[in-house]
Amino acid sequence: MRYLFIGKSGAILLGYPDTTQDADVFVEKSAENGEALVRALLELSFHLSPDDMTHIRRGKDFVQLKNGPFDLDLVFAPDGIEGFSAAWSRRTESAGFMVCNIDDIIASKRAANRAKDRESLFRLEAFRDYLRSKD
Amino acid sequence: MSHMTDRKPDIPPDLLAEFEAASRRTLQQRWKYAFIKTYKPVMDDAPSRAFDSMEEYRLWCEANLPVWLGYHRV
Repeated sequence: MRYLFIGKSGAILLGYPDTTQDADVFVEKSAENGEALVRALLELSFHLSPDDMTHIRRGKDFVQLKNGPFDLDLVFAPDGIEGFSAAWSRRTESAGFMVCNIDDIIASKRAANRAKDRESLFRLEAFRDYLRSKD
Repeated sequence: MSHMTDRKPDIPPDLLAEFEAASRRTLQQRWKYAFIKTYKPVMDDAPSRAFDSMEEYRLWCEANLPVWLGYHRV
């Protein structure tokens, strides 16, 4: 399955110290990937309805799940990122998890432009600078 | 020491201290303490939702969620 953690949960996987209420996953939109994702979610004990499964298989741009062991947002077309392949080429692996590059995480938050995103941008940008200083 | 300072010129000291402390924790520790669940009105009142576009989702948030949750665009 091709996926990338994004949002604050992605940043936390990269070492960012903060809290979040859900995990955000950027998923490649394809029939194979959608099917694999449904299987993985059922394995993780998400209680998917038939409609949920259809939406995931079809790759609706945004699917929000609150029917599993943790809240999960599946994002097939995040704001501020041109496409999955480009984000995949810039990905970082953290302990076996695939994670968006910190620049993509920041770009998506900047493009979403919600109050809660604005509040977190300064800290995220400082964290990006910190990561770069360690390279 | 001056070398380290030169490499992190724009990071406020309090944030730098937080980042350094986090880097000493294991991923398991960071992940365990990262998730804090609090009830979000309206948002948490359905087991799932799906939207055809992010714009549709943003509009839904702005039409249905209280402003103080932070999901409204600025």
